[in-house]
Amino acid sequence: MTATDTDTAPDLDGLAAAARARGEVDGGPAPDPVNAPMVRHWLEAMGDANPLYLREGLAPPAMLQVWTMPGQDPRPTASAVDELLGALDAHGLTGVVATDCVQAYDRYPRFGESLRSATRFGGLSGPKTTALGTGRFLTWHTAWYSGAERVGEMTFRVLKFAPASPEGASPGSASPDGPAPSAPRPPRNADTAFFWDGAEAGELRIRRCADCGALRHPPGPLCPHCRSGAADHVVASGEGTVFSHVVHHHPPVPGRTAPFPVAVVELPEGVRVAGAVVGAAPGEVHAGMAVRVDFERIGDGPALPCWRPAGQRRLPVAELELTRTAVTAGALATRDFTPVHHDPDRARAQGAQDVFLNILSTQGLVQRHATDWAGPGARVRRIALRLGAPAHAGDTLVLTGTAHPPEDGTTRVEVRGTTALGPHATATVELEGVR
Amino acid sequence: MSRTLAGAAAIAGIGATAFTKESGRTELALAAEAVLDALGDAGVAPQEVDGMTAFAQDASSEIAVAREIGAGELRFFSRVPYGGGAACGTVAQAAMAVATGQADVVVAYRAFNERSGRRFGRAVRQDGGEPTSQSLELGWHVPVGLATPASWAAVAARRYMQVYGAVGEDFGRVAVQARRAAATNPRAWFHGRPITLEDHQASRWVAEPLRLLDCCQESDGGVALVVVSAERARALRRPPAVVRAAAQGAADGQMTMTSFYRGDGAGLPETGLVGGRLWAMSGLGPSDVQTAVLYDHFTPFVLMQLEELGFCGRGEAPAFVAEGRTALDGPLPVNPHGGQLGEAYIHGMNGIAEAVRQVRGTAANQVAGVEHVLVTAGAGVPTSGLVLGAYS
Repeated sequence: MTATDTDTAPDLDGLAAAARARGEVDGGPAPDPVNAPMVRHWLEAMGDANPLYLREGLAPPAMLQVWTMPGQDPRPTASAVDELLGALDAHGLTGVVATDCVQAYDRYPRFGESLRSATRFGGLSGPKTTALGTGRFLTWHTAWYSGAERVGEMTFRVLKFAPASPEGASPGSASPDGPAPSAPRPPRNADTAFFWDGAEAGELRIRRCADCGALRHPPGPLCPHCRSGAADHVVASGEGTVFSHVVHHHPPVPGRTAPFPVAVVELPEGVRVAGAVVGAAPGEVHAGMAVRVDFERIGDGPALPCWRPAGQRRLPVAELELTRTAVTAGALATRDFTPVHHDPDRARAQGAQDVFLNILSTQGLVQRHATDWAGPGARVRRIALRLGAPAHAGDTLVLTGTAHPPEDGTTRVEVRGTTALGPHATATVELEGVR
Repeated sequence: MSRTLAGAAAIAGIGATAFTKESGRTELALAAEAVLDALGDAGVAPQEVDGMTAFAQDASSEIAVAREIGAGELRFFSRVPYGGGAACGTVAQAAMAVATGQADVVVAYRAFNERSGRRFGRAVRQDGGEPTSQSLELGWHVPVGLATPASWAAVAARRYMQVYGAVGEDFGRVAVQARRAAATNPRAWFHGRPITLEDHQASRWVAEPLRLLDCCQESDGGVALVVVSAERARALRRPPAVVRAAAQGAADGQMTMTSFYRGDGAGLPETGLVGGRLWAMSGLGPSDVQTAVLYDHFTPFVLMQLEELGFCGRGEAPAFVAEGRTALDGPLPVNPHGGQLGEAYIHGMNGIAEAVRQVRGTAANQVAGVEHVLVTAGAGVPTSGLVLGAYS
């Protein structure tokens, strides 16, 4: 941003106040009613075999925004943040990257219903220095109505930032959380290899002195009690309780998205083992919390012990080959015609390595991963999506998930999508009717 | 010859560069400047230097510093490992050298571009290679997300809260007192910039339960100390700060910042070990020091050190600090220079320089009637400590 820009650029706080005062702005009706062909097309693009939708005449909830997407020849539709977006550009914040998308569903839209959308301003924060550059976060809310009845709502947050180079507004080249991670690899030698081999095999191994039987972690070549060098190992039961824990916020840690909890866990076997806590929000981790060992992998790194709240279930892992066809099919099925999602030349010209998944496709794949596990009887009530590194054609998107024990009929499923670049999406899906 | 180091050696000169966030110079240039400044303070010519002690982590070798200052031949050199735990250890090694005649004039130094160069606050990188015992230690923690010094300190801080019921404000009061002292120390980076407890509570999380204002600064700069025999020091231009006691220590089950596998995890046994040796060697006790310079890379460790050193009982440090006992106008001012939270992070060496000034009576925030000062080094690692006092 130059001094000249700021002198002539519009007053952002004033525009934000005006946008807030404007309240809800009608975005007009969807071009088509909710219909079977578009749903079928979307289900095929997402690889979603859930029979519920076509059988019951319902639209997949993650498809909500698709109905009011402007398409290839967009009419100018009004929104509550148009002026602000323009003003942020005028301030030199010409780069844009979506960071968060939260959708809450009142009910699934029915075939034949005509939807209408309306937006309202949410907030403008910053300036904040991010890995992409200095920028400001803009949040807005969109609601979808069938007649007067709201069927769902979305909160969307973008980072508008000043690109490093004039052409540097490269969607999909990075995420505001930082550059592509390189996974830290634990060093290993003859004294510790059994532990890491165990992790690869899904076992938490503890060194046992072959002479006096003492257990020891972290291990070393000798038994400090009897000085024997003879050792084997036991496989821990996997249970433990949190002895101490931290929530890491700053600075960035390669391969992890802050804030993230890490715990030192006390095992009934009498040793302590450190590991990330997965499947729990940072605020949920507490001293004495019952946890169970699991194993995580960052990028192509080795298996690492981690801890998850006792009682959680893991979803089967899905590995999706992101062909250009798959990326393009997702973009078209979600009526997103931004060139970076279907045109490799245009994607590269903007700094991406190839076409990459659009947000609406990521959202669909996250929903699919949760419902593949939960079954057609379940109903998705909310998807909160945090976006990370882009998922390019040619890469593999690995979807993992964890289901928490149900609370008040709601089952929370954490879904994580990872590519070679690191975390692509971190989502929380809330479902009802999970058996 | 009695088998004690007590009273044998003294710090005869202190020197430093400016403490900045971007020195614009090499680390060797900083080291040489600090050493020459210290020699000038002591009134000792560079050619008289015949020994050097340094931090194992220092990027500038003893011979490189010797070449820059034109020291000529060296008869003694020694390095102390374990990060900031080395600080008082460099003086202990120097004192042993002059006490045993291995050298006559030993310079201890630490200089780095820790803010503009390699920042310790960043996530540790593990780049493979043949494992060392140190990299194996880190390997149990860094890959699973305990990747920064603040996160290691946070594990201990959480235990301290759990075991003794301490809260974030208890840590905050340590920071507030440090910044209050720095505010009236012209040498301090945070000179003229005190903070309130509300500022502390509003500062962002770094690694819960630690906030930004629980963490020391990152600084560029260097500090050097000239150690000679107590006799020789008497004849030099500055009042000597006699090494009444010097100790190094590593506790049972010790690791470097990650000793999570021993005891209740809420104490610093290595500091307790060093403290006990310091009191025994000096023949003094906690009530005999008028001010203490406690290594404050992270605020909770100041509380734990107060307890380990016997200034108060276990779990009593939060109240001890809240009552103002460690404030500038309290009975035991702690870190009257502002500490590494307020003055600069020179790996504890600036704290030793402050202790010397307190003994000389020349500190910015001079404590009245100083006879003895206790100084500690990096906490949570194999550590070291000193008791300094006037020649008597």
